[in-house]
Amino acid sequence: MVVRVMTPLTIKTTTEDHFIAKLAAIAIVLSIIEFFLPSPIPGVKPGIANIIILYTLVKFNLQTAVWVSLIRVFVSSILVGSLMAPTFFLSLFGAISSLIFLFIFQKLPKKYFSVISLGIIAAFGHILGQFFIARIWIIPHDSIFNLLPLFLISSLIFGVLSGFITNTLLEHKTNRLPN
Amino acid sequence: MKKVLPFIKTIKLGDVLIIFMLMGLIIFIINKSWNTPIGQYLKIEKNNEPPKIISLNQIKEEKIAGLLGDSNISIVDGKARFSKAPCTKKYCIHQGWINKVNQTIVCLPNQITISITDGSESYDSVNY
Repeated sequence: MVVRVMTPLTIKTTTEDHFIAKLAAIAIVLSIIEFFLPSPIPGVKPGIANIIILYTLVKFNLQTAVWVSLIRVFVSSILVGSLMAPTFFLSLFGAISSLIFLFIFQKLPKKYFSVISLGIIAAFGHILGQFFIARIWIIPHDSIFNLLPLFLISSLIFGVLSGFITNTLLEHKTNRLPN
Repeated sequence: MKKVLPFIKTIKLGDVLIIFMLMGLIIFIINKSWNTPIGQYLKIEKNNEPPKIISLNQIKEEKIAGLLGDSNISIVDGKARFSKAPCTKKYCIHQGWINKVNQTIVCLPNQITISITDGSESYDSVNY
């Protein structure tokens, strides 16, 4: 009798992959929690997963942050059940534009700009990306720009908060890389 | 106070600068987008019928037959309003005059909607 031995999985994972997986897991949990938070105005959300993206960007690099962000968008939309629905595309384009803004502004001098700046820029990028896709596809009418100031004000507030929380995380005494 | 202190320690000059710049941007956008231009046309939509678009640059009393009866829409000086409606609550009349783009008055009982436009438009929204 021939015993067939299954060939073991030979994908080599680096430690960076493990970090990405762990950070993405935290980000997914945060965005699922956020999904169930009630919101006074539809669409105004704190964006707490942004904290993880900022943390990744500062602690690692932009490439890792891109991975974590996109994995978060896809997996959380599968879990929530909105994959390929308009909310998914809003979320995806928000994340992409947020990352583009972070790419442009990541080299801000550390002496004058703290993580709070990055938090605000990420939140703003997210809202602008969402509005862009909403304007050209979901509600193709200029009247949605009347909502823009509302969302920008909320993104300013939550951007400052998430930047501050990220800073606290980064400066925490027990701050170690997850392993 | 003790809880505010770490926040003040964290925030740097550039952050404050960015916050103020974005506040300025928000105020600019509010000024820009919440002052909608004055429209030139009135769009009258009735249940299951293609919209009727008429110019606002005229003095006219438009009579539209709705579900309950005739609603009167008066157009004066580039503004429009419901002047007579067969419904009981008369919400549409109490909305008053409209003249800015995208302003809308809806009369639900009589199933008539009027809104101001300045050009062409496609579908309203994608829902799921």
